[in-house]
Amino acid sequence: MINIKHTIAIIVIAALTAVSGNASVLDSVNVDARLGYVVGGTIPTHMGREIRGINRFDPGLNFMVSLEGSLPLKSNWSIHTGLRYELGSMDVDSRVKNYDIEVVRGDESLAGIFTGNVRIRTTQRRITLPIQAQYDFSPQFKLRGGLFLGWLTNRRFWGWAYDGYLREGTPVGAKIEMGTEPGDRGDFDFDKNMRHMQWGLDVGADWQFTRRWGLFAELTYGFSGLFKSDFHSVQTLRPMYGSLGISYRIK
Amino acid sequence: MDKISYSLKHYFTVVAIAVAMMLLNTSCFGDEPDGCEADIETATLHVANPEAYFFQPTDSIQVVLSTDSVITFAVRGDADVRALSPVFTLSPGATVNPASGSTHDFSQGPVFYTVTSQDGKWQRRYRVNVVPTLITVADTLRFDFEHFELEPASQRYYIWHNTRPDGSLGNDWATANTGYRISMSSALPDAYPTTPLLNGYDGAAVCLRTSDTGPFGKMANKRLAAGNMFLGTFDISIAMSDHLHATRFGIPFTSRPGRFTGYYTYEPGPSVQDFYGNPIAGRTDSADVYAVFYRNHDADGNEVVLYGDNVLTSDLIVAVADMGYVTPTTQWTAWDVEFVYKEEVDEQLLANRGYSLAIVFSSSSAGGEFIGAIGSRLCVDKVRLICTREE
Repeated sequence: MINIKHTIAIIVIAALTAVSGNASVLDSVNVDARLGYVVGGTIPTHMGREIRGINRFDPGLNFMVSLEGSLPLKSNWSIHTGLRYELGSMDVDSRVKNYDIEVVRGDESLAGIFTGNVRIRTTQRRITLPIQAQYDFSPQFKLRGGLFLGWLTNRRFWGWAYDGYLREGTPVGAKIEMGTEPGDRGDFDFDKNMRHMQWGLDVGADWQFTRRWGLFAELTYGFSGLFKSDFHSVQTLRPMYGSLGISYRIK
Repeated sequence: MDKISYSLKHYFTVVAIAVAMMLLNTSCFGDEPDGCEADIETATLHVANPEAYFFQPTDSIQVVLSTDSVITFAVRGDADVRALSPVFTLSPGATVNPASGSTHDFSQGPVFYTVTSQDGKWQRRYRVNVVPTLITVADTLRFDFEHFELEPASQRYYIWHNTRPDGSLGNDWATANTGYRISMSSALPDAYPTTPLLNGYDGAAVCLRTSDTGPFGKMANKRLAAGNMFLGTFDISIAMSDHLHATRFGIPFTSRPGRFTGYYTYEPGPSVQDFYGNPIAGRTDSADVYAVFYRNHDADGNEVVLYGDNVLTSDLIVAVADMGYVTPTTQWTAWDVEFVYKEEVDEQLLANRGYSLAIVFSSSSAGGEFIGAIGSRLCVDKVRLICTREE
């Protein structure tokens, strides 16, 4: 994690140094303003056998805005970076069996093995710095790949286990039925356990269909979990955002 | 043009591979996991002549709580228990050894059964007793609260044992301590609502304190737990979803209760709060001290226990001894209340374990609606149930 942060910092510094050292290179920089529709927020690293089905999935209606630029290096290669502001959210309702869960409130917790339904909701606001290598297949088509560094300015993760039962502690612990209404079900709230910093893979594509206007697609997948490493109340989740949108060339 | 289409194809291939790699292991559900539970859910004793074995037809089937690992069939005193074959229903996929339906001699004491979960990783051991029960008509039942211990599995809260007429220890007393553990997992044994008091009126007493249920309680609009103790069972499984039915008041009782006596202290907490936790000005908390004698089967022959919502109102109630207003006092104070009968006791039914008795203590009488004063403290000791023979 630290190494990656360092690596990214070095790349940025190197790129900036290269740019500032050569005014003619700076002239060839392209800068776009982007607006996109975002799907996602988080996905599990693996769909365990404990998850038996999805009752409902709502990716939410989210968007991103960004200012991004690319700096030609040689032949068809450029380095692409920028600053993005992204909103992500998700609302998933799934059926689970023998699902390891911990319901936490304040200093109190109730952990065990849950069979029933689990609703998970999350919203995140993220400022992202992408560092990508860009290959121009043509002046119109570009493909990008690299890393991103993200910082959550707002993070919420909450939900409830309902319509099922918990075996307290272990599968042979006391059986506690959970209903559907607040108070009868097991609510959890893990905002504070989420990482502020995210990093991971960032791939994208651009289609410049007029001199000013273009379309883009972007997919980021976090290598860091959504939660801090000492947090085990829910399975490992990774941040993942997909976005589609339009770009406007400023320069 | 060729170059563009090549690039496009290439591009889509690369993106498709990247996306597929990321989604690959998220796209499908694995096989359903094997069951990991290892419960006996019900136990049934099938015999050729049930009338000779059971006091009540419903005695042949026991619904086993998830927290119980002892199953007891009380059968008639002259029943032959040397070759019986209990049948069990188990958690889905679980197996039991010795087998369900296998024949055992219960005259030499309990038979132990081990249940193994479907995935083979978990086991529970059950003790099954078939106890020939002589119906004795006790003169006085004594409850002195001397026998308590930390609950063996969790070591987090106290449980109490009653002393049977033969001197052995029973599990007739229940408390909501089990339920408190759901909301306050960090609480130490002495912070639970029901605790022992070492220097009571005579030896140890039991103290019930209305307690804050913490952040979980607040979230669930169940902001307090009255300290309680009662003859019966506490069904933890529905403590969250249906709390008034989690308290199952009453145990089969074969004597005719006449008077209900004991010693108490009661100190109401400083401020009564309503369901939402807001103080109710001018109200003082009140306690419950009562005993209820009731018919334990309804008109259709179904087994009945009384719950938090009908323990004083059920049509099956035969007699009640209610102390009524529990005057606050810090001095040990005696109570002596007569059972008031609504109907005659059927001696035949009494001999066939057709009546149950509930003794109920609570530090906040409206605790069932989560109204009361945190800190209200009721201590009781030397409780006596003085029984009479029908003339």
